[in-house]
Amino acid sequence: MSVPAQSLHEKLNQLRQRFITQLPIRLEQTAEQWQASRASGEAEARLAPDLHRFFHSLKGTGRSLGFERLALLAEQAEDALTDACPRADLDDFMVALLRQLNDELAYLQTDQGQQKSLAALNSVEFTQHPEQVRSRRQRLIYLCDDEPEHVSPLMHHLRCFGHDVVHFADTDTFFNAVLTRRPDAVIMDVQFPHGQTAGTETLTSLNRLTGQELPSIVLSGHGDFHSRLSAVRAGCNGYFTKPVKPLDLMLAIDELTAPVDDEPLRVLIVDDEYEVAEYHALMLEEAGMIVHQVHHPNDALSALERFSPDLLLVDVYMPVCSGTELANIIRQQPEHVGLPIIYLSSETDSQKQISAMAAGVEAFITKPVVPDELVSAVRLRAERLRLLRSLMTRDSMTGLYNHSTTTDLINKALAQAHRSDGRHAMAMIDIDHFKTVNDTYGHLAGDQVIITLSRLLKTRLRLSDTIGRYGGEEFVVLLRDVSAEQAAKLIDGLRQDFELVDFHAGDLSFRCTFSAGISDFPNYPTTQSLRLAADQALYRAKHQGRNRVVSSTEADNDGE
Amino acid sequence: MRILVVDDDSLAGEITAAYLEALGHEPVIALDAMEAASQLDTLSDIALIVSDMHMPLINGLALLEMLREQGITLPFILLTGDEPPTNATQQPGLTACLQKSADLDVTLAHAIEQAFKA
Repeated sequence: MSVPAQSLHEKLNQLRQRFITQLPIRLEQTAEQWQASRASGEAEARLAPDLHRFFHSLKGTGRSLGFERLALLAEQAEDALTDACPRADLDDFMVALLRQLNDELAYLQTDQGQQKSLAALNSVEFTQHPEQVRSRRQRLIYLCDDEPEHVSPLMHHLRCFGHDVVHFADTDTFFNAVLTRRPDAVIMDVQFPHGQTAGTETLTSLNRLTGQELPSIVLSGHGDFHSRLSAVRAGCNGYFTKPVKPLDLMLAIDELTAPVDDEPLRVLIVDDEYEVAEYHALMLEEAGMIVHQVHHPNDALSALERFSPDLLLVDVYMPVCSGTELANIIRQQPEHVGLPIIYLSSETDSQKQISAMAAGVEAFITKPVVPDELVSAVRLRAERLRLLRSLMTRDSMTGLYNHSTTTDLINKALAQAHRSDGRHAMAMIDIDHFKTVNDTYGHLAGDQVIITLSRLLKTRLRLSDTIGRYGGEEFVVLLRDVSAEQAAKLIDGLRQDFELVDFHAGDLSFRCTFSAGISDFPNYPTTQSLRLAADQALYRAKHQGRNRVVSSTEADNDGE
Repeated sequence: MRILVVDDDSLAGEITAAYLEALGHEPVIALDAMEAASQLDTLSDIALIVSDMHMPLINGLALLEMLREQGITLPFILLTGDEPPTNATQQPGLTACLQKSADLDVTLAHAIEQAFKA
């Protein structure tokens, strides 16, 4: 496996060269065969299979090698030849196609032409990967504080949310550690035995030395002006006076390290002209978007499935199928109804633009395109769709999936698991005595508990797991590729951490627990039966005294 | 593993072979169904077949049928220049039907993985 991508690339380039070298002779032969086939019915019957196969294989090979336009021309020829009722101008049409094929070949024979078509190909290959790179939610946090009684509750809360916390008792060790490995955030005490503002001074000198500001939060025994000023000067992002409420600090860290919408917008370009598509793709990529191109309307639907773009950019004039027709096809599919479509055309005729709008097109951009205009038109519409999608699919308080979206996602995961013999586990989680929390400490405190549990689930479970809020204080989780036992163990770990979280309501502090029921696929093969079994196990957990995790299998065994 | 590539267009066959090689496999090429059959006779370690659909005389599906009649049950992946025809994808014994395109390396890798998962 030490020779993969590079040698494949070289090999394909060699094959491309050979293909281009051989093509003139093959085209010439085909043109002769075509002429000969027109001479008599007998000749036509004899030569038709060869002609058909030539264009068919040109289409396939051309596409494999990334010569999309050649493939497209070959496809038109193939279609024309196999059409049940041949077109009246078949002769002219074929001659024209053969000429276009020769033109395209001449273009590919030039260095520039080939490079361009390869550049387009490479960018298509390239865009298949970036989406997999997603930031993990776990953060590396340095806590520098010399007072041990502060440290342990802070450490517990941060770790409970899946953060990696390293503690330093003195500023020198901390200083060196930052230079060795830079953390995502720093929590720094201001006062140290060797200086009233030794903590903030250390941060200031680190920032100066590295030329980069460390995201940091400062803890201080005093709220005095001098301490605060030193924190501001050290470029700190937050200031907490001791005693610190660990949960507040945790939320501040979350905010500080949360990437600002780290998901780039995804745009699918459908344009039969390579260079044009490439040009527009470059503009959008320059603006930080992920772009996928298809050069044939036929490929648009499968690309929609695979790439799931936030927006579609379509050329109005394409062979085979116009942009308007494509928009109509896409709109006929319920899952793509909301997808914004922007047209690119040289059309300034407002009547034509209006008829395109009728097919559900959001906007018209006239060629030649002004880069800023394109980027802002795309961004505006794509972001609007994203917001809309998230409002429709997510619970507003926790950002978790709502009831119906969760059910959809679980249905999908199960359908796939049926095909691939997968195993999944479901956990229904319910906060214990939640009504009492609301009644005793108020709704704000109750909300705090719900938000905390949802954050705990988000930070500790995997991205591939589905986490939903089913309503009220009830959560559902689908854990992929784990057994019921593994799931029970995992959820029990969360339960133990959750019960140690301190919540605050005014001056009062309290703790909360949850109960959970586990069921597993394929023991329970449908969403409905999984849910029912998990619910029954949850009921069992509540019945046995709450603050525990029960599996549907144990529930069966204990005889009730 | 050793993979038999069947394609009447030698260039197309080499493209497929290049992709397979890049995935760490060892491809051998046959230019038609007859040659494929003789390769299968001589090389006992062939573990999978990737065949073009459109070939003169015996096309990919006919080759598949022929092999099944002879009791050869190796995983069989069909390549086509068109959208995979729906009736072809339901052909018994067919592991996958893939469209020739520039991302054939990805789809091939996936299909091969699937073939040996089952």
